[in-house]
Amino acid sequence: MAATETTTYETAVERLEQIIARLDSNEAGLRETLELCTEGRALIEYAAGELDAVGQGLRELKLDELIARLEGGAQPPPE
Amino acid sequence: MAENGLASTLDAATPQPAGVEGYPGPFPVGRYAVKLRERMRDLARVCVVGEVTGARVGQGPNVYFELRDADGALPCAMWRTDFERARLTPDDLRDGAQVVAAGGCDYYVGSASASPSFRFRVQELRPAGEGDLLARLERLRRQLAGEGLFELQKRLPVARLPRRIGVVTAEGSAARRDFLAGLERRSWRGTIVWGYAPVQDRRAAPAIAAQVRDLAAFGRVDAIVVTRGGGSIADLWAFCDEALCRTVALLGVPVISAVGHDVDRTLIDDVSAVCCSTPTHAAEAAVGIDCAAARAHLSATAVRVDDHGRRAVDRRAPLAAATRRVDRALRRAVDRRGPLAMAARRIDRAGRRAVDRRAPLTTAARRVDQAGRLAVVRRARELASHSRAPRAQLNRHLVQLHQKAREMRAASRRGIDIRQGWQRRIAATVLDRKVAAARAGADRERTALAARVADLDRAARVLGERQAQALKVCRSSLDAHDPQRTLERGYAVVATPDGDPLAGTGALRAAGAFQVLMADGAVAAHVDEDREERPDGRD
Repeated sequence: MAATETTTYETAVERLEQIIARLDSNEAGLRETLELCTEGRALIEYAAGELDAVGQGLRELKLDELIARLEGGAQPPPE
Repeated sequence: MAENGLASTLDAATPQPAGVEGYPGPFPVGRYAVKLRERMRDLARVCVVGEVTGARVGQGPNVYFELRDADGALPCAMWRTDFERARLTPDDLRDGAQVVAAGGCDYYVGSASASPSFRFRVQELRPAGEGDLLARLERLRRQLAGEGLFELQKRLPVARLPRRIGVVTAEGSAARRDFLAGLERRSWRGTIVWGYAPVQDRRAAPAIAAQVRDLAAFGRVDAIVVTRGGGSIADLWAFCDEALCRTVALLGVPVISAVGHDVDRTLIDDVSAVCCSTPTHAAEAAVGIDCAAARAHLSATAVRVDDHGRRAVDRRAPLAAATRRVDRALRRAVDRRGPLAMAARRIDRAGRRAVDRRAPLTTAARRVDQAGRLAVVRRARELASHSRAPRAQLNRHLVQLHQKAREMRAASRRGIDIRQGWQRRIAATVLDRKVAAARAGADRERTALAARVADLDRAARVLGERQAQALKVCRSSLDAHDPQRTLERGYAVVATPDGDPLAGTGALRAAGAFQVLMADGAVAAHVDEDREERPDGRD
C-alpha cells in the first residue's frame, strides 16, 4: 500500500509491521522484496512526517480567536 | 442519662472532701468527665439534616461547623481524614448549605489548661438532595441508553497520533495543567485548540456544549477532550446535562471525557468515545503513542528496511546481466515485429495524448475539491451562526423584556405616586370636611353650653335670692331671740362683774357683788341682806 490521503499513522505503522515481518521471513522473492522495500520507505517517510508534525513545538490556539479570524474572512492558521 | 447511674460507675475510694447530703460524691471532675464521654458515645449513631453555618476548615485535624434549623442547632466536628475521604471541599460547607451528617454525640473532656466541649462527631457527610440528583441521573442514563446514544461515539475511530486536539476546560484550571503534563509525557508537541468554558454552575453546560460544537465545526481537530477536576455530584452536574450529552453523542469528532476522579461517573462519560479518570489519562488517551519512542522505533524500522533493500539489490546483481540479455533478445523480437511496434507506438502516443487531455481534468478536479472544502467550511459556519441565532434572538428578547420590566417598574412607580397623590388629596378633603363638621358641632355645643350657663346663672340668681330671703328670715328670728331686744323693752340682766349672767338668788348671794345690765348700760350693785326683805321678794 502506498501512502495516500486515507492513510493514517496507525495504518501506516501496521502495514510497516507486516512488511518487516514478510521481509524477515525470507519468503519474499526478489521482485516482492524490492516492492516491499519501496513501499516501506514511502510509509516510513509518511510516518516520520506525521511525527515531525507533532514534534516541532507545542502550539496553543484559542477557539474564540480562531472563530473570530474565520468570521473575519482570514485564512485559518497553517498546521 | 441518669446521674445516679453515672455516679454508680465511679468509686469514691480516694479520700475526698465532704460532699453534699443527698448527692453522691464528690468525684474527681476529670473522671466524671471521662465517664460522661463514654455515656455520650454509647448513644445511638444517627443522621441529622440541617443548614451549615460557621464552618472552619483550617489546617488542623478537625473540621468544625454548626448545623441549624428553625428549632435548634448542633455543634459538629469531623476528622479531616473523613472529610477528605468523602471528597468534600470547603465550598460544600458554605453558610446556608443543606447537608446530611451521620455520626453521634461526643464530648471532649478538656484538661487543666483546655476547655471541655460537646460535639456531634460527624463520620459521613453529603449535601442534602444528592440522593435526588442521583435518582434523576439514573433515569436520564437509562433514557439515553435506550435511545442508543451511548454507542454513536464509540463507533468513531480515535487517531493514535492526532495533529490537532481540541480541549474544553476552565481557563487556568488544574485540569488544564494536568492535561499539558500528560501531553509532555507523550512528547507530543502538536496544536491544541482551547475552548474555555465554566465547568461548575448553571452556565456551564450550555457553554461547554457550544465550545464542543464550535471545536467540531471550526477547530479542524482530530479529537476533543472535555475535562475538569473532581468534586461532588452537584459540582459535576453540568456534565450530566441532557442537551450537552446529546450534543456530544451526535458529534462527528471523537470526544474524550475526563470529569472528576475514578469514582465519579457523569453522563458525558457514558456518551463519549473514551472515558478517562483524570486529565492526565485523557492526554494519554488522546495521544495513543509515546512520540519519542515511536520516532526511535521508526528509525530502527527504516534501518531494517534499508538492510533488506541492500540485500535484495545484492541478490539482484547476478540477475541484472541475464536481464539485460533477455531485454536485448526481447528488443530484437520487437524489432522483428515492426508493424506491431509501430502500432504499439501509436497506441503509446494516443495514451500520452489521453494523459495530456486528463491534465486539465485533474486540475479542475482539484479546484472542485478546494471549492467543496471551502463550501463545507462556509456551511459549517453558517450552521453554527444559525445555531447561535436563536440564542442571539433570545438575548435580544431578554434585553427587550428587561427594558419592558424597567419601564413597567417606572410606570408602576409613577402610578403609585399619582395614586398616593390622589389618596392624599382625598384624605385632605375628608379631613377638611370632618374638621368643618367638628367645628359646627363645637359651635352647637358652645351655644348649648352658653344657654346652659345662662340657665345656671338664672338658677344661681334665684338661689341667691332665696338664700338671701332665708337669711333674712333667720336674721329676723335671731333678732327676735336677741336679749338686747328684751333689754330694750325694759328688762335687765343680772351678771357678775365679769359679765357671767346670774340666774338665781343663790348665785346672786354667792357672788355678792354684781352688775345690772340694761339696754342703755350697766350699773354695779351688791347684795345687802340687812334690808328688809319685801314679801314679793323684790329689792
